[in-house]
Amino acid sequence: MNTPRFDELIHAPTRLSLVAFLAATGWADFKVLRDSIGLSDSALSKQLTTLEDAGYIEIRKTFVGKRPRTSARLTTNGRTALDRHALALQEIITGAGSSMLPANPTTQQP
Amino acid sequence: MDDRVEPADAARALSEIDRRREQVIRRKIFPSWWWWAYAVLITELAASAESGRGVLLGTGIALFVAGSLVVDLPVRRASRAAAPRRGLAGPGAARTTLIGSAAFAAALLGVGLATGISLKAAGAPCPGTIAAAVTGVVFAIGGPMLVRLDAATLVRRSRSRQ
Repeated sequence: MNTPRFDELIHAPTRLSLVAFLAATGWADFKVLRDSIGLSDSALSKQLTTLEDAGYIEIRKTFVGKRPRTSARLTTNGRTALDRHALALQEIITGAGSSMLPANPTTQQP
Repeated sequence: MDDRVEPADAARALSEIDRRREQVIRRKIFPSWWWWAYAVLITELAASAESGRGVLLGTGIALFVAGSLVVDLPVRRASRAAAPRRGLAGPGAARTTLIGSAAFAAALLGVGLATGISLKAAGAPCPGTIAAAVTGVVFAIGGPMLVRLDAATLVRRSRSRQ
């Protein structure tokens, strides 16, 4: 059973959208992520790198013919972090999270 | 960001998580033309079978197979690009989808057979081809409705799992 843990890295709006989308899929193509979340190529690359560095996602680069194809998927750590973050959010809403502090206050929102 | 998160902000974040899950479930895999392309292919296959000539039947089958491969290509690509995670809407979701698809296939078969038999009894020319065309139209209209219904069911089930 997961315990609530507010995760500021995930809570940043763009990353939350990305992680939530990835939580509902297996591997997701870069293009689908870009169009679904509504980001530019460079903004998406930056967010994916941040999430990969945190160990929350895995990035795969393959070739379809001569075209490179980048895909991403949530790791087990990423899924657990999102689940715990969602529990923390629920606690805040129900008023039970009186001591809810961001777990990673040094991470800057883009 | 403050060291405390406001409940309104938390609620917004949770609703964003829900919204993205729904986005994955409702993502359009089948383009609208796909259904009509299959309606044409079904009719073409029936017409070639009804012609009673071996060459036409062989050509019709080859055309159907080649056409299916071409028509299915973008669907296969779209479904691979971001397939919903298995179990997203609960353990029984796949069964619900399968039952829906089987019922739709049975309904199509029923429509096709009923139309074909009625037309043949009435002495209409090319009853098989006309029946296949009618079935194709039902497929093209009912298919997208079935997909939307299935997505709505999956969304409802995924919400109830929280």
